[in-house]
Amino acid sequence: MYLMEYRVKIAITATIIILIILSIWGLTSLESFYRHLTIAQMPISLLLAGINAGIFVFMYMTFLQGGFTKIKQTAIKGENVNIHWDDVIGMEEAKQEALEVVELIKDRTKLLKIGGKILRGLLMVGPPGCGKTYLAKAIATEAGIPFISMSGSEFTEIFVGVGASRVRKLFKKARSLAYGYGASIIFIDELDAIGRQRSFSFMGGGQETNSTQNQLLVEMDGLQDKDSNVIIIGATNAAESILDPALLRPGRFDRKIYLDRPNLQEREKVFEYYLKKIKYEPTVDIGRLARQAVHKSPAEIENMIKESALIATRKRKETVGNKELSEAMERIDMGLKHKKHMTKEEREMVAFHETGHLVVMYILHPTDDVFKASIISRKETLGVVHSQPREELYTHNKEKLLADIKVDLSGYIAEKIKFGTTSTGVASDFQKAMQIAHNMVWMVGMSDAGYVGDYTVVPKSQLSESLKEKLNAETDKIIQNCLKDVDALLKKEWPIVERFVKELLEKDELEYDEIEAIFRECGKGHNFKKPE
Amino acid sequence: MRERLTKCKVLFIFLILSGLSACDKPTYPTGKIEESVLKLCKDEYNLDNVKVKIVGSTLGVYIPVEGLVDPEMKLDKKAGEKIEDVALSIHRVVTSTDMPLKFYIFTTRDTKTAGAEFILTGFIYDVVRVRLFDISRGEYFQRILRDFRFNPAIAGERKIRELFNALNHNSPLTETLKPILYPIYVIGKKDTQKIEITDIESKELSDHESLLYVKTVEEYEASPGFEAYGAIFPPGFKNEYLFLIDISLFTSPMKEIVSKYFYSNNEVRQRDLKDTFEQYKDSGIIGIDGFPKKDLDIGWFLSQQISRRIKQLFEEDKKLKKNFRVVSSHGEIKDRVFQFKFNITSNDGKTGDEKIIFSNIIKMAGTVLHLYGFEEYKSVEFISLANAEKKIYLSKENLEIFRKNKLDIASLKY
Repeated sequence: MYLMEYRVKIAITATIIILIILSIWGLTSLESFYRHLTIAQMPISLLLAGINAGIFVFMYMTFLQGGFTKIKQTAIKGENVNIHWDDVIGMEEAKQEALEVVELIKDRTKLLKIGGKILRGLLMVGPPGCGKTYLAKAIATEAGIPFISMSGSEFTEIFVGVGASRVRKLFKKARSLAYGYGASIIFIDELDAIGRQRSFSFMGGGQETNSTQNQLLVEMDGLQDKDSNVIIIGATNAAESILDPALLRPGRFDRKIYLDRPNLQEREKVFEYYLKKIKYEPTVDIGRLARQAVHKSPAEIENMIKESALIATRKRKETVGNKELSEAMERIDMGLKHKKHMTKEEREMVAFHETGHLVVMYILHPTDDVFKASIISRKETLGVVHSQPREELYTHNKEKLLADIKVDLSGYIAEKIKFGTTSTGVASDFQKAMQIAHNMVWMVGMSDAGYVGDYTVVPKSQLSESLKEKLNAETDKIIQNCLKDVDALLKKEWPIVERFVKELLEKDELEYDEIEAIFRECGKGHNFKKPE
Repeated sequence: MRERLTKCKVLFIFLILSGLSACDKPTYPTGKIEESVLKLCKDEYNLDNVKVKIVGSTLGVYIPVEGLVDPEMKLDKKAGEKIEDVALSIHRVVTSTDMPLKFYIFTTRDTKTAGAEFILTGFIYDVVRVRLFDISRGEYFQRILRDFRFNPAIAGERKIRELFNALNHNSPLTETLKPILYPIYVIGKKDTQKIEITDIESKELSDHESLLYVKTVEEYEASPGFEAYGAIFPPGFKNEYLFLIDISLFTSPMKEIVSKYFYSNNEVRQRDLKDTFEQYKDSGIIGIDGFPKKDLDIGWFLSQQISRRIKQLFEEDKKLKKNFRVVSSHGEIKDRVFQFKFNITSNDGKTGDEKIIFSNIIKMAGTVLHLYGFEEYKSVEFISLANAEKKIYLSKENLEIFRKNKLDIASLKY
């Protein structure tokens, strides 16, 4: 195998050695004058030869495509990838699937004996940062076979045929490795760069992508003189529908692994895993962090912990505490703080507006939790109430949507109650509230009037004006009812509002614990159970 | 893998270094120079009559050639090819040896025409430089000394041998010389005299004159009345002669013959001829054996080169050639002072413009000395024989200033 893999290098080395021996032989046969002359000229001769070779290589690479088709990626042996199963966390289901794949790779002979079809391709689909590459590396380590990693974009080039040539070279290399090591893995990241549905344009656009993909299809399941154990793992963030169906048919990417963002338990594991790598205070509640980080990918969690370590270092602290973690998350979610100079009245209005959101969210919202309230400006906002769902919800009921509307309208009501007037700060809130109410009525049949169906699929010109009026009236009704409810609630809980406003004006920001403490103090505290 | 790679690299470097170390040995090492020249001439050019001798740092090479000169008294073409072959062998050896040789002197003599010889004298560093393209081939040919001439010493020796042979055979042509060859032709019976040459030493006094010191063993029978001389000159006694030969005098080249013994004031007296012979300076560099008489030095070499360049300068430059004619040019170095004597006239036989003559010669001499980086001299003297032996004397420093055009010829004193 060594000879197979390094045959070109061995041939070149042998040729160089033979040439050196012949040169020395030739030199010794010369008279010493010419010998010394030749040796003295050697450095400049070598330099000139090097320059000539450089120019030749440059010309070849530039004009004869030699360089374009070159694959820079070198193969890495499985054991050198060094990412083990234990390192793969927060994707239990995907891990199980991948483990199965590893078994199939290892037991290829057994599989062939019973007449099973060899696994050709494995497609990993999922949002960015969920560990697709990580999982692929773990597969390579566990299977103990060479691993060639390339990005889909590395195949694309302005010249037609270059991508296809690279695919051929890649597979040739992988087959050679498979011959030596029993199997090899090709990992193509961002597969959608070459795997999009082929398009045919009379202008010739997309030809390069098409030819690259065609070559990939042929290499994966085309007519090959030898059947070699090369497994292709593709990874993409794009939806499956974007990929060309030919790629997804059995025999090519016939096995798919969906990697989603981790759930609460998985997030806890991810937090545990990354927190082990830094020093953190014992007061840090991993469960709360996991709850707070709903919809976050492992990469985002890792980034958040790294960021918190940086913040702690900047603060000259030796350990990372809740405050740093919260700040890191806020920095990632909401962006950097950017204090704007507001007048006292403005600040007070922002405080009442945000408190309105805070109180209504805390008391009314069935699924979301308040983690932070702030009247420090960030990006375009003057204040923010940061909330997260307590757990992953993939569907929303009417109560949740109504609560969302009420939360959005609460800033407006709070301003109105306190100042008898309102600000432009409500614009985005209204936008969100109206959108939800509109969708409730027009799309998901949540109006009290009994209009059921998705009216948005019907062209507006085909809807009668009276129906549109009625539907819009229903939307308005939802908004009005919510306004009434929020108004009543805030008036009822006005002392709490005043208390939060006071706290916010004093501290600018209130953390989860502080918010919870004040509500508890006022007899409104939640009592969440840690999810099983 | 990494270990294997390191081993490979070590092997690779070892291979190159051992190969290069093998390249350091000279092809013709000290002690094998003579052998190498002979071998090259024999193996590559089939010349087996070459002789080699090293005198100090000068390599002397001699080859006798039959028919060196053609009927027109020019260098024969075939002989010229042989000279080229031997010269190439010499160049190969002197450039690839570790022996610190400085000069080579290669003599070719005609075995048919007495005294005809071709001498090639070169500075070895010039050979190296021309091979390295550090100097042009044209410049190189100006740097080597090529002399195609008649050696007065060789020709003189031949004349003497012919003379004694004629005497021994009682040639009538020798009758006039017999009384000079004292004493056997005075005290001996006619036709009983026999002279055998035992040794000849020669000195070149000029390019046409030679002085020869001859030792002989002489046999005779005393004439009646001279029996008493048998006590002084017993048969087979040793005699000595000095011959002054001028080969330019074709009819009677023997200008003077001096015998060791002579009769004066009623008694037989003798002269110390060896002492007289020793008092004369030998201007020749090649001995009878074809090898250099002494080690050459760079000062002498440059004096000879410059004197030859004076001729070339006025023969090759079209403008100078049109106006001047070089009658003679001679150079020497004595006590670290170069002296160049030249006889340059205008083409109509009149005296040439001395300023042009001197300025060209001084410039050329300064350039040659500068190019050789030669510093071991004090001054240079330029003497124009055609201009009433006008002289220009320049110190080393002034010569260099003149070469740099910072000194005008008009400012130089004659």
